[in-house]
Amino acid sequence: MGTPVSERTSAPTDIAVSLRDVSKVYGPVKVLDIPRLDLARGQIVAVVGENGAGKSTLMGVLSGTVTPTTGAITIAGRQLHAGRPDHSRDMGVAMVAQEFPLVGQLSVAENLLLGRRPQRAGTRPLGKVVVDRAGTRAEARTLLAEVGVTGVDVDRPVGRFPVPVRQMIEIAKAWGHRPVVLILDEPTSSLGPVEAERVLDLARTHAAAGGAVLFIGHRLDEVRSVADRVVVLRSGRLVADLTPAEATEERMIREMVGSELARADLAPPSSVERTATLSVRGLTADGLGPVDLDVRAGEIVGVAGLMGSGRSRLLHTVMGAQPRTGGSVAFDGADFHPRHPADSVAAGIGLVPEDRKVQSLLPAHSVRWNVTLTTLRRISRRGVLRPRHDKEHAARIVKDLGVRLHSQEQPISSLSGGNQQKAVFGRWLAAKPKLLLLDEPTRGVDVGAKAEIYHLIDTAAQDGLAVLVASSELEELLWICHRIVVMARGRIVADIPRERFGKEVIMTAAAGSGAGAPSGRTEDAGTSGEGKAHA
Amino acid sequence: MKTSTAPALADLDDGTSPRTSLVRRLAETPEVGVVAACVVVFAALAIDKSTFASAVNLQGMGFDLAQYGLIAIGESLVILTGGIDLSVGALLGTSVILMSWFNVRAGLPPVLAVLVTLVIAGTVGLIHGLAVTRLKMPPFVVTLVTYTVAQGVTLAITSGTSITGIGGFFGDVGQTYVAQVPLPLILFVIVAVVAWFFLERTYAGRQVYAVGGNAEAARLAGIRGDRRIISMYVTSSLLSAFAGIMVLGRMGVGSASGVGVGWELSAIAAAVIGGVSLVGGQGRIVGIVAGTILLELINNGLTTLQINSNYTNIVLGCVLGVAITADRLRARSVARRS
Repeated sequence: MGTPVSERTSAPTDIAVSLRDVSKVYGPVKVLDIPRLDLARGQIVAVVGENGAGKSTLMGVLSGTVTPTTGAITIAGRQLHAGRPDHSRDMGVAMVAQEFPLVGQLSVAENLLLGRRPQRAGTRPLGKVVVDRAGTRAEARTLLAEVGVTGVDVDRPVGRFPVPVRQMIEIAKAWGHRPVVLILDEPTSSLGPVEAERVLDLARTHAAAGGAVLFIGHRLDEVRSVADRVVVLRSGRLVADLTPAEATEERMIREMVGSELARADLAPPSSVERTATLSVRGLTADGLGPVDLDVRAGEIVGVAGLMGSGRSRLLHTVMGAQPRTGGSVAFDGADFHPRHPADSVAAGIGLVPEDRKVQSLLPAHSVRWNVTLTTLRRISRRGVLRPRHDKEHAARIVKDLGVRLHSQEQPISSLSGGNQQKAVFGRWLAAKPKLLLLDEPTRGVDVGAKAEIYHLIDTAAQDGLAVLVASSELEELLWICHRIVVMARGRIVADIPRERFGKEVIMTAAAGSGAGAPSGRTEDAGTSGEGKAHA
Repeated sequence: MKTSTAPALADLDDGTSPRTSLVRRLAETPEVGVVAACVVVFAALAIDKSTFASAVNLQGMGFDLAQYGLIAIGESLVILTGGIDLSVGALLGTSVILMSWFNVRAGLPPVLAVLVTLVIAGTVGLIHGLAVTRLKMPPFVVTLVTYTVAQGVTLAITSGTSITGIGGFFGDVGQTYVAQVPLPLILFVIVAVVAWFFLERTYAGRQVYAVGGNAEAARLAGIRGDRRIISMYVTSSLLSAFAGIMVLGRMGVGSASGVGVGWELSAIAAAVIGGVSLVGGQGRIVGIVAGTILLELINNGLTTLQINSNYTNIVLGCVLGVAITADRLRARSVARRS
């Protein structure tokens, strides 16, 4: 296991980080077990693995947010006091988190220099006490320029910037600590191609200057393009250590999932019926429409489009979670005008929203409470819940969906992402809807659970449900859908049947120059992350 | 939904596969600390001072418990939705004055005076709820306004002099004993049981937790959170007025001198000590009641021990500090083990 590549550069100064016998145990589960791992200076090491494979734990151990159960870590030859973020930082570990811990109300400059002072502060009288605004600003600008961001007003509060810019600010913040080891946790997941390339360049620069980079990525093409070495984690263990030549996508996936199914041949069930479950005409809402769309019973319709194209808005408007400004919707043969998601649930519509933590889960509450949320009224008798009945109902949902857990009383936040998502599906399937709206149904879900979720969607369609699924992962839509509609600037610009499926067709339509997108409104709110804009 | 209640199914997989031992389950119950503290404090005081556990003193505590407990429950219902109600104490004081004013000055029969006051309090709660849900105003600010206005109303009505001559009805409610047990205590127990039933056994109660736990998730799951939130504010205000009846009956006069002022802090303290999370969505009636009892035991115990009353708040504050620290540590150890 783990034949360290760094053996070929075995001089101690060349090793930026070394881990020995590092393990982390939560209860009965060993989530990380690494006997030996060395990261050399001048290298970009990519870490890949399914969710729950131990990637975040590994990063947490290095950055001090997770205290390892056993083992020792040295950074540039010096022992790291495990479990102390401040010490990790002083030793030269900087991490760019997936969810950015930026202070929204503070300005960009203040965020960039959070927790430290501008370099010239020490030399000025009172420099250690009084905030040096000009110095802070100047240093912030320099930092942003170094990571390749221009045109950002450093005095504006961070909260006002869209997600991609915030991500770049977060990267600049880590950069500002002049780290030895730069940890990038899926840094490009919220970025467009240009910024993403800039981040990869930054990683290369850092490595070339003698630093070490630990790169966590889900996009395997990106991993291939940037990594000097690919480390694969599975169930907390280091299962493969690949050179760039060895690290083909197939190989990486095979190592990640192990003996389990790789990528099953997926095709939607032939369950499409004649009757339209959902029929949308001229639907408009803030940043949406007019949209015409039909979804038939048993049909899986994909919604593709770039970020900000209105995918989530379409789903939310149909659900009644965002106010409709015009148009009509016929659901199950009758005119339908929900004023609140509750109306839609009552009529037989379910929505699996995009952001699980913010929009789906009651994180502190038990799995049981979470899965029964939509059916509470139904399982109660005259408003009264019967504990036994409640438990059996929840047990059935959990069992049908194959959610893996210790106990349905454990908090849902203690489950892995895939199991959380299955629980959310279970919540809706238990409500026996006729239409299921899915927004990024497999975001943050590992490969194994993805296949299970696709299977759930197939089964639902076979049972006659109409499914409308919005996703930014094109492959996913290509696998599971009967038909894909492409959105751009709030409108549907293409409707592609399965026979004509192809990435190019969809991307061309999504880029928006083509078919029927006349004089679309200029959408500047679009970049700030779908679905969060409409509260 | 099938409603088959086959025992085999529950047995088969009710999700609790490893039978957790009773001790472990107790340790994971958030309220266990407060309840234990109540028992210990009570035992210690009873052993030290025989007067503490005397019938008279216990009855006195029963009266206190009822009035603090009622507003603590109301307060907690609001906190569960993720809000806060600073007006409970001040509104109680105003209700006392309103009831006596309607009864004495306006000449209404006591029952009618109570009803009118309850309607007014309910309206105030409704306004709170609407302001919080429709106008998205922060609960803290909304109820702070009422807190201030209510105290002003009390002063304006009385001009600082108490209202005397209230009907016998109030005394009947506030001072009667049923088999040696104070009637207010019984009423409090009834309210507590109803609140427990609502929160633990009705779907509406579960939805209150859901809204407090994650309002957006609840909304997208088809829960009309606004209704739940509004009804909790209304209930909180109604319970304040209801507690006002007991207070008025016990004192016998509509006192203008600061009845209820500062009680909201005791109510919040009782809730927090009882394990209610100020973020919302977490906490149970058992804990809230135990929290109120603990505060009352300490308060009364200090008097029994003849400790200078100036020190009472220091002790109560420390207890609050210990309670939240203990809760934090317990939650952390549970999180670590799971």
